[in-house]
Amino acid sequence: MGNNKNKRFVIENQIGELSSLADKIDELAEEWELSPALAMNMNLVIEEAVSNIIFYAFNDDNKHEIRISISLENSSLTIKIIDDGIPFNPLAQQQPNITLPAEERPVGGLGIFLISQIMDEMKYARQKNQNILTLIKRI
Amino acid sequence: MNIKKEKIGDFSILKIKGRVDTMHSSTLEGEVTKAFDSGENNLIFNCSGMDYISSSGLRVFLIAQKKAKAINGKLYLCSMQPAIQEIFRISGFSNLFSIFNTQEEALANQ
Repeated sequence: MGNNKNKRFVIENQIGELSSLADKIDELAEEWELSPALAMNMNLVIEEAVSNIIFYAFNDDNKHEIRISISLENSSLTIKIIDDGIPFNPLAQQQPNITLPAEERPVGGLGIFLISQIMDEMKYARQKNQNILTLIKRI
Repeated sequence: MNIKKEKIGDFSILKIKGRVDTMHSSTLEGEVTKAFDSGENNLIFNCSGMDYISSSGLRVFLIAQKKAKAINGKLYLCSMQPAIQEIFRISGFSNLFSIFNTQEEALANQ
Protein backbone atom coordinates (compact mmCIF):
# COMPACT_ATOMS: atom_id res chain seq x y z
CA MET A 1 0.00 0.00 0.00
CA GLY A 2 1.36 3.45 -0.91
CA ASN A 3 1.63 6.46 1.34
CA ASN A 4 -1.24 8.33 -0.24
CA LYS A 5 -4.81 7.44 0.49
CA ASN A 6 -7.86 9.11 -0.94
CA LYS A 7 -11.58 8.76 -0.50
CA ARG A 8 -14.52 10.69 -1.90
CA PHE A 9 -18.08 10.94 -0.72
CA VAL A 10 -20.94 12.70 -2.46
CA ILE A 11 -24.10 13.42 -0.49
CA GLU A 12 -27.31 15.33 -1.07
CA ASN A 13 -28.31 18.42 0.88
CA GLN A 14 -30.55 16.42 3.23
CA ILE A 15 -29.85 16.37 6.95
CA GLY A 16 -30.71 12.66 7.01
CA GLU A 17 -27.52 12.03 5.03
CA LEU A 18 -25.40 12.82 8.09
CA SER A 19 -25.97 9.47 9.82
CA SER A 20 -24.76 7.29 6.97
CA LEU A 21 -21.93 9.73 6.27
CA ALA A 22 -20.77 9.38 9.88
CA ASP A 23 -20.82 5.59 9.55
CA LYS A 24 -18.79 5.77 6.34
CA ILE A 25 -16.23 8.06 7.94
CA ASP A 26 -15.90 5.70 10.91
CA GLU A 27 -15.34 2.81 8.49
CA LEU A 28 -12.72 4.82 6.62
CA ALA A 29 -10.93 5.73 9.86
CA GLU A 30 -10.79 2.04 10.70
CA GLU A 31 -9.51 1.11 7.24
CA TRP A 32 -6.82 3.79 7.45
CA GLU A 33 -6.01 2.78 11.03
CA LEU A 34 -6.56 6.25 12.45
CA SER A 35 -6.78 6.65 16.22
CA PRO A 36 -10.30 6.84 17.72
CA ALA A 37 -9.62 10.43 18.79
CA LEU A 38 -8.64 11.44 15.25
CA ALA A 39 -11.64 9.55 13.85
CA MET A 40 -13.91 11.52 16.16
CA ASN A 41 -12.31 14.82 15.20
CA MET A 42 -12.55 14.01 11.49
CA ASN A 43 -16.22 13.15 11.92
CA LEU A 44 -16.80 16.27 13.98
CA VAL A 45 -15.32 18.80 11.55
CA ILE A 46 -17.14 17.20 8.62
CA GLU A 47 -20.45 17.20 10.52
CA GLU A 48 -20.02 20.87 11.46
CA ALA A 49 -19.13 21.98 7.93
CA VAL A 50 -21.70 19.83 6.13
CA SER A 51 -24.58 20.59 8.51
CA ASN A 52 -23.88 24.31 8.07
CA ILE A 53 -24.07 23.85 4.30
CA ILE A 54 -27.30 21.84 4.48
CA PHE A 55 -28.96 24.31 6.87
CA TYR A 56 -27.81 27.61 5.39
CA ALA A 57 -26.28 27.35 1.91
CA PHE A 58 -29.33 26.89 -0.28
CA ASN A 59 -32.19 29.26 -0.96
CA ASP A 60 -34.11 26.89 -3.20
CA ASP A 61 -35.77 23.50 -2.71
CA ASN A 62 -33.63 21.79 -5.31
CA LYS A 63 -31.33 18.89 -4.74
CA HIS A 64 -27.70 19.84 -4.43
CA GLU A 65 -24.58 17.76 -4.20
CA ILE A 66 -22.05 18.23 -1.46
CA ARG A 67 -18.71 16.67 -2.28
CA ILE A 68 -16.30 15.60 0.41
CA SER A 69 -12.83 14.34 -0.31
CA ILE A 70 -10.46 13.07 2.33
CA SER A 71 -6.82 12.33 1.77
CA LEU A 72 -4.04 11.09 3.95
CA GLU A 73 -0.56 11.86 2.74
CA ASN A 74 2.46 11.18 4.90
CA SER A 75 1.45 12.82 8.15
CA SER A 76 -1.17 15.17 6.83
CA LEU A 77 -4.94 14.66 6.74
CA THR A 78 -6.73 16.90 4.23
CA ILE A 79 -10.49 17.29 4.04
CA LYS A 80 -12.01 19.22 1.16
CA ILE A 81 -15.69 20.10 1.12
CA ILE A 82 -17.33 21.60 -1.97
CA ASP A 83 -20.86 22.93 -2.36
CA ASP A 84 -22.68 25.11 -4.89
CA GLY A 85 -24.58 27.15 -2.33
CA ILE A 86 -24.50 30.86 -1.60
CA PRO A 87 -21.03 32.28 -0.94
CA PHE A 88 -20.01 31.62 2.65
CA ASN A 89 -16.54 32.23 3.99
CA PRO A 90 -16.27 30.54 7.39
CA LEU A 91 -12.95 32.30 8.02
CA ALA A 92 -14.75 35.64 8.00
CA GLN A 93 -17.09 34.68 10.84
CA GLN A 94 -16.80 36.26 14.26
CA GLN A 95 -15.16 34.05 16.85
CA PRO A 96 -17.24 33.30 19.93
CA ASN A 97 -16.10 34.64 23.29
CA ILE A 98 -15.41 31.38 25.12
CA THR A 99 -14.64 33.08 28.43
CA LEU A 100 -18.22 34.20 29.10
CA PRO A 101 -20.13 32.56 32.00
CA ALA A 102 -22.99 30.19 31.11
CA GLU A 103 -25.63 32.84 31.73
CA GLU A 104 -24.06 35.09 29.07
CA ARG A 105 -22.85 32.52 26.56
CA PRO A 106 -24.91 32.68 23.38
CA VAL A 107 -26.41 29.36 22.34
CA GLY A 108 -24.89 28.22 19.07
CA GLY A 109 -22.18 29.61 16.84
CA LEU A 110 -19.60 27.03 17.92
CA GLY A 111 -19.40 24.81 14.85
CA ILE A 112 -16.89 26.78 12.79
CA PHE A 113 -14.93 27.65 15.91
CA LEU A 114 -14.55 23.94 16.72
CA ILE A 115 -13.29 23.28 13.18
CA SER A 116 -10.72 26.06 13.52
CA GLN A 117 -9.52 24.73 16.87
CA ILE A 118 -9.28 21.08 15.82
CA MET A 119 -7.64 21.57 12.43
CA ASP A 120 -4.22 23.12 11.82
CA GLU A 121 -5.20 24.90 8.62
CA MET A 122 -8.48 26.14 7.24
CA LYS A 123 -8.72 27.64 3.75
CA TYR A 124 -11.65 28.99 1.83
CA ALA A 125 -12.06 29.72 -1.86
CA ARG A 126 -14.99 30.70 -4.05
CA GLN A 127 -14.56 29.31 -7.55
CA LYS A 128 -17.09 28.83 -10.34
CA ASN A 129 -20.04 29.42 -8.03
CA GLN A 130 -18.72 26.90 -5.56
CA ASN A 131 -17.58 27.16 -1.97
CA ILE A 132 -14.39 25.20 -1.45
CA LEU A 133 -13.37 24.59 2.14
CA THR A 134 -10.04 22.91 2.74
CA LEU A 135 -9.13 21.63 6.17
CA ILE A 136 -5.74 20.22 7.06
CA LYS A 137 -4.57 18.44 10.16
CA ARG A 138 -1.04 17.27 10.74
CA ILE A 139 -1.01 13.97 12.53
CA MET B 1 -27.98 7.58 21.12
CA ASN B 2 -29.98 6.36 24.07
CA ILE B 3 -30.59 7.81 27.49
CA LYS B 4 -31.30 5.89 30.67
CA LYS B 5 -32.69 7.73 33.62
CA GLU B 6 -32.61 6.94 37.31
CA LYS B 7 -33.13 8.85 40.55
CA ILE B 8 -30.65 8.77 43.38
CA GLY B 9 -31.33 11.07 46.34
CA ASP B 10 -32.06 14.58 45.11
CA PHE B 11 -30.59 13.90 41.69
CA SER B 12 -31.97 12.65 38.44
CA ILE B 13 -29.22 10.89 36.55
CA LEU B 14 -29.28 10.85 32.78
CA LYS B 15 -26.92 8.23 31.45
CA ILE B 16 -26.07 9.09 27.86
CA LYS B 17 -24.85 6.46 25.44
CA GLY B 18 -23.69 7.01 21.86
CA ARG B 19 -23.54 10.09 19.69
CA VAL B 20 -24.83 13.52 20.69
CA ASP B 21 -24.79 15.04 17.22
CA THR B 22 -26.98 17.03 14.83
CA MET B 23 -29.22 14.01 14.28
CA HIS B 24 -29.68 13.08 17.94
CA SER B 25 -29.25 16.16 20.11
CA SER B 26 -32.98 16.90 20.10
CA THR B 27 -33.59 13.61 21.95
CA LEU B 28 -31.34 14.78 24.78
CA GLU B 29 -32.91 18.23 24.72
CA GLY B 30 -36.34 16.61 25.07
CA GLU B 31 -35.24 14.59 28.11
CA VAL B 32 -33.72 17.67 29.76
CA THR B 33 -36.86 19.73 29.17
CA LYS B 34 -39.01 16.92 30.53
CA ALA B 35 -36.89 16.66 33.69
CA PHE B 36 -36.97 20.38 34.44
CA ASP B 37 -40.68 20.62 33.61
CA SER B 38 -41.46 17.90 36.13
CA GLY B 39 -39.57 19.70 38.89
CA GLU B 40 -36.35 17.70 38.75
CA ASN B 41 -33.99 20.57 39.42
CA ASN B 42 -30.82 18.60 40.07
CA LEU B 43 -29.39 16.67 37.17
CA ILE B 44 -26.29 14.57 36.66
CA PHE B 45 -25.28 13.71 33.12
CA ASN B 46 -23.33 10.48 33.26
CA CYS B 47 -21.30 10.68 30.05
CA SER B 48 -19.38 7.38 30.33
CA GLY B 49 -21.02 5.99 27.18
CA MET B 50 -21.06 9.26 25.23
CA ASP B 51 -18.48 8.71 22.51
CA TYR B 52 -19.14 11.69 20.26
CA ILE B 53 -20.32 15.26 20.62
CA SER B 54 -20.65 18.08 18.10
CA SER B 55 -21.69 21.71 18.49
CA SER B 56 -25.37 20.75 18.39
CA GLY B 57 -24.77 18.55 21.43
CA LEU B 58 -22.79 21.25 23.24
CA ARG B 59 -25.72 23.56 22.60
CA VAL B 60 -28.05 21.25 24.58
CA PHE B 61 -25.65 21.13 27.54
CA LEU B 62 -25.45 24.94 27.56
CA ILE B 63 -29.25 25.28 27.42
CA ALA B 64 -29.50 22.85 30.35
CA GLN B 65 -26.94 24.79 32.38
CA LYS B 66 -28.68 28.12 31.73
CA LYS B 67 -31.95 26.57 32.86
CA ALA B 68 -30.39 24.99 35.97
CA LYS B 69 -28.81 28.29 36.98
CA ALA B 70 -32.08 30.15 36.47
CA ILE B 71 -33.89 27.83 38.89
CA ASN B 72 -30.98 27.38 41.33
CA GLY B 73 -30.68 23.73 40.41
CA LYS B 74 -27.55 21.64 40.33
CA LEU B 75 -26.19 20.33 37.06
CA TYR B 76 -23.20 18.02 37.11
CA LEU B 77 -21.37 16.07 34.44
CA CYS B 78 -19.36 12.97 35.19
CA SER B 79 -17.34 10.15 33.67
CA MET B 80 -16.48 11.89 30.40
CA GLN B 81 -14.23 10.17 27.88
CA PRO B 82 -10.93 12.01 27.21
CA ALA B 83 -11.80 12.94 23.59
CA ILE B 84 -15.07 14.50 24.78
CA GLN B 85 -13.27 16.33 27.60
CA GLU B 86 -11.01 17.83 24.95
CA ILE B 87 -14.00 19.16 22.98
CA PHE B 88 -15.35 20.72 26.19
CA ARG B 89 -11.94 22.25 26.85
CA ILE B 90 -11.41 23.84 23.44
CA SER B 91 -14.92 25.27 23.37
CA GLY B 92 -14.53 26.80 26.83
CA PHE B 93 -17.27 24.54 28.18
CA SER B 94 -15.04 22.97 30.85
CA ASN B 95 -15.38 26.22 32.79
CA LEU B 96 -19.17 26.30 32.50
CA PHE B 97 -19.84 22.99 34.25
CA SER B 98 -18.96 21.07 37.39
CA ILE B 99 -17.33 17.99 35.93
CA PHE B 100 -16.55 14.97 38.11
CA ASN B 101 -14.49 11.88 37.38
CA THR B 102 -17.13 9.51 38.71
CA GLN B 103 -20.86 9.50 39.39
CA GLU B 104 -20.13 8.82 43.08
CA GLU B 105 -18.10 12.03 43.31
CA ALA B 106 -20.90 13.99 41.67
CA LEU B 107 -23.48 12.51 44.05
CA ALA B 108 -21.31 13.46 47.02
CA ASN B 109 -21.97 17.11 46.16
CA GLN B 110 -25.59 17.02 47.31
